[in-house]
Amino acid sequence: MYQYLREHFDYRSILIMLALLIVGIVSIYSATFDARASGVFHKQLLWAGAGMIALLATSFLPFRFLQFISYPAYFLSILLLVSVLLLGKTVSGSTSWFNLGAFRLQPSEFTKITTVLALATYLSRSDVSLQKVASLGIAAGILLLPVTLVMMQPDTGTAIVFLGMFFPVLYWGGASRFTLLAIVAPGISAIAALFGTTPFLIVVLVLGILLYLTKEHRIVAAVVFSLVVLVGISVQFIYDGLKHYQQKRITTFLDPNADPLGAGYNIVQSKVAIGSGGFLGKGYLRGTQTQLNFIPEQWTDFIYCVPGEEFGFVGGATVLALFAALIARGVAIASSVKSKYASYVAIGVTSILATHIFINIGMSLGLLPVIGVPLPFLSYGGSSLVANMTMVGILMNLYANRKEY
Amino acid sequence: MALQDDIQIYQKRRVLYAVIAMMFLLFLSRLVQLQMIYGEEYGRKSEENSIRTIPKEPVRGNMYDRTGRLVVDNRPAFSVTIMPFEFDKQNVNYLAALLSLDRDFILDRLRKGESYSRFVPVKIKRDIDFKTLSALEENRDRLPGVDYQLETKRSYTSNANAAHILGYTKEISESQMNKLGGAYSQGDVVGSSGLEAGYEDKLRGQKGAEYSTVNVRGQVVGSFESGKLDVPPVDGNSLILTMDFGLQAFAESLMTGHRGALVALDPQDGGILALVSKPDYNLSLFSGVTRPELWRSLNFDEAAPLFNRATLTRYPPGSTFKMILAIAALENKIVTPSWRVNCGGSFRLGDKVFKDMHVHGTVDMITAIQKSCNVYFYQLMLKTGLDNWSNIAEEFGFGKLTGIDINEENPGLLPSTSFMNRRYGPSGWTRGFLPSLGIGQGELGVTPLQMACYAMVLGNRGDYHQPHAVEAIIDQQRKVADTLLYQSRTIPLSPESWEVVREGMRRVVEVPGGTGGMAKIPGIESAGKTGTAQNPHGPDHAWFVGFAPFAHPKIAVAVLVENAGFGGSFAAPIAGKVMEQYLRESTSPRSPLPAKGVYSDRAVAHLTEGQN
Repeated sequence: MYQYLREHFDYRSILIMLALLIVGIVSIYSATFDARASGVFHKQLLWAGAGMIALLATSFLPFRFLQFISYPAYFLSILLLVSVLLLGKTVSGSTSWFNLGAFRLQPSEFTKITTVLALATYLSRSDVSLQKVASLGIAAGILLLPVTLVMMQPDTGTAIVFLGMFFPVLYWGGASRFTLLAIVAPGISAIAALFGTTPFLIVVLVLGILLYLTKEHRIVAAVVFSLVVLVGISVQFIYDGLKHYQQKRITTFLDPNADPLGAGYNIVQSKVAIGSGGFLGKGYLRGTQTQLNFIPEQWTDFIYCVPGEEFGFVGGATVLALFAALIARGVAIASSVKSKYASYVAIGVTSILATHIFINIGMSLGLLPVIGVPLPFLSYGGSSLVANMTMVGILMNLYANRKEY
Repeated sequence: MALQDDIQIYQKRRVLYAVIAMMFLLFLSRLVQLQMIYGEEYGRKSEENSIRTIPKEPVRGNMYDRTGRLVVDNRPAFSVTIMPFEFDKQNVNYLAALLSLDRDFILDRLRKGESYSRFVPVKIKRDIDFKTLSALEENRDRLPGVDYQLETKRSYTSNANAAHILGYTKEISESQMNKLGGAYSQGDVVGSSGLEAGYEDKLRGQKGAEYSTVNVRGQVVGSFESGKLDVPPVDGNSLILTMDFGLQAFAESLMTGHRGALVALDPQDGGILALVSKPDYNLSLFSGVTRPELWRSLNFDEAAPLFNRATLTRYPPGSTFKMILAIAALENKIVTPSWRVNCGGSFRLGDKVFKDMHVHGTVDMITAIQKSCNVYFYQLMLKTGLDNWSNIAEEFGFGKLTGIDINEENPGLLPSTSFMNRRYGPSGWTRGFLPSLGIGQGELGVTPLQMACYAMVLGNRGDYHQPHAVEAIIDQQRKVADTLLYQSRTIPLSPESWEVVREGMRRVVEVPGGTGGMAKIPGIESAGKTGTAQNPHGPDHAWFVGFAPFAHPKIAVAVLVENAGFGGSFAAPIAGKVMEQYLRESTSPRSPLPAKGVYSDRAVAHLTEGQN
């Protein structure tokens, strides 16, 4: 029995995740301690319980069943995304929730999982090759359908997380260097264009050289290159078309101190909270930034400030180490499974978690703009917690069935 | 992965591990940067976020007169403050209307305050009346960040004005703030003239601070570290003055209607008993907010009520200065007291005629003082010479600051050979200048305060005491009074010189034919000297200096009445009444003070100057 469990139960993933979950619950308790939001803490405990059930159920699911439900689940979740747009509840400007009595459900969280499953199912087909443009196009379509729907809510953060899984999955699947470069190049050129003309020109030059070095057919390379230039130039027009709060977020990211009371407020307060934690922190429930509510709704997107402020560098680094271990574990599982489908699923799930972590912590540390993305296992949010725990359940399932084809 | 090479997968895994490691190393180094390198800075920022410093104003020190009577204390007053970070600038017009202030004034104050800290309240109006206070209270919800703070303002409890010696306090100006440094902030009150300014550092006290913890909405959630770090304000030290406010009020009443000044000293220590400058003003007008129109009207009044005539005017002393010349002649053995001059009513030097009031006949030195014979002193001046005369006058303190403990003082003007050479060139002046100086006219300037010191030294037969208005400072923390020590010196003259000039001065008042008979005090022997300063712009200025009782004086007085005419008729009676009032009425004992003293800052400054 013990031997079987060791072989089939990935205790490492679940232990790392449980440690993060405890940090999260402890942090939420602290963040809501004095904010008259204790309902948040109790709800999160219930969601953690629900997540545990989802995790265990997923991890013991027959491997074939997972594969079997991939497409139906994908279409079901797309259907949910459409109906949430039509029937959903609007919270702080975006329509992404279903009301279920006292709880709210966010279909986009679960769509991340189903999209990974669908993508993995498609890419593992024997007639699909990442060297073929048609295959790439269909893969992109599977991804862009939910991205478009999420963008319509609008929920930029979640949309970015979807896109974040595409590159690692293609890399993992053996896409050519040119393909990978062509995927990221327009994005890099767009970001560079936001910083100004000189950075844009330098980046365009570097990308041009890299594209040339891939020795791809000249016409294809030229098309991609013109796309890169076009995207960069049109960024200014797109920027003008953005909603005011989105523009603010971008300018604030470029210089958070320009408007420390408006859009930069969260970043500044977050940095103050983490920075003032010092090496050992101010002590549990004694962080002034946290306890005096200087960071609005800290228990959602800025939860990383709590361990950072109250437990200092020790707390902040511990959380980083746990996340690094979890992501590395996901990559290890992806490389140890025999099934191609399982490998794609593992890398997809891991990329989603990693994208969340990088964007959220990067934002809390003031390295990235404020993008509303929760920190897995720490942030308050039922749908996100259950979805993330389900992803760990999937990883555990893949580990248990690693020898299956 | 069935279709792919295992080696390729392991390579990709290595790449992914490297990417993950790089990302987390980036985050880790950011943590090091924020928490370890800039940790202290962010720690301060988080404290500034969550800790509010509420300044606590100290109560300004009181002033008591020599009898222990309270003459200056404080009354509560409310000031309006704005917490910059809470204040919505859209409310500024509304607030400006409520407080009858200019909106730009409020915004300017706010901007300056914000540049210091957004979390420290800015004072925008002092001493609001009850109506404004209740209007503010009613509209509190509409005006987040606007609050009021209990402060104190000066209150004057005697029936004397004493405006020039006590001085006024007012809201600190920008130039004062730059000069005085960091202890002050906008809206603070600062002593701006008289003793209020001279003893500003003693009276002011130290501001305290209360620290409280606030949440993001700025609501106070409790005291910070249970108040352990709070600094209570230290109230200012009180002053015990040498002044007698009964005498001050009496002297003011005598001077009412005149322009001029009166200084009365205690000759035994140089303590100022009364100091009057007329016209004056009511200090209470300055105690709360100084209204600009009041300030303008006082400032541009041609009678200059803000100007302290007692220490700042510079007039020729007239005949009151004749004792200087008599002493200079005696000390330099130019003449003996019995040297006589026949006064025919005028004196001719070259083609210039110097006049006298009367034909005095043959007079000796004592009679010449008694009757104020100009012809005698014209001739004596020519015999004595400018520098002998100038040196004695300098010994008496003319031509330099007395070191009184207020900031407003004029050194006056005392000519000497080197001065005249500087001014006119060695050949630009002649002996013809001297006769006028001999009778205290011409290019000679003295202040009433210097003249009171002059009377004191004559009364004391040489003992000079630095004039001062503060006798002791009550240390608020140690609860003890420190007596201030001032500089004293003796002018070493032969006893004969003192006897001759003093006898002359006695006869001025006591013997018929003296010019100062109107200063006579029934039953008390006194002495004095009249003077009439020629005024090219209008009627002459009347002077009188005197002391009483004659043998051992307890009061020395100088009186100046501008544009009044003859000193004996206008200044002498005032001086006589003041001396009489003091000698008869001031029987109340002085408040007991410890004998141990500390040198006053000004005395120390004087002593070190003397060594140079």
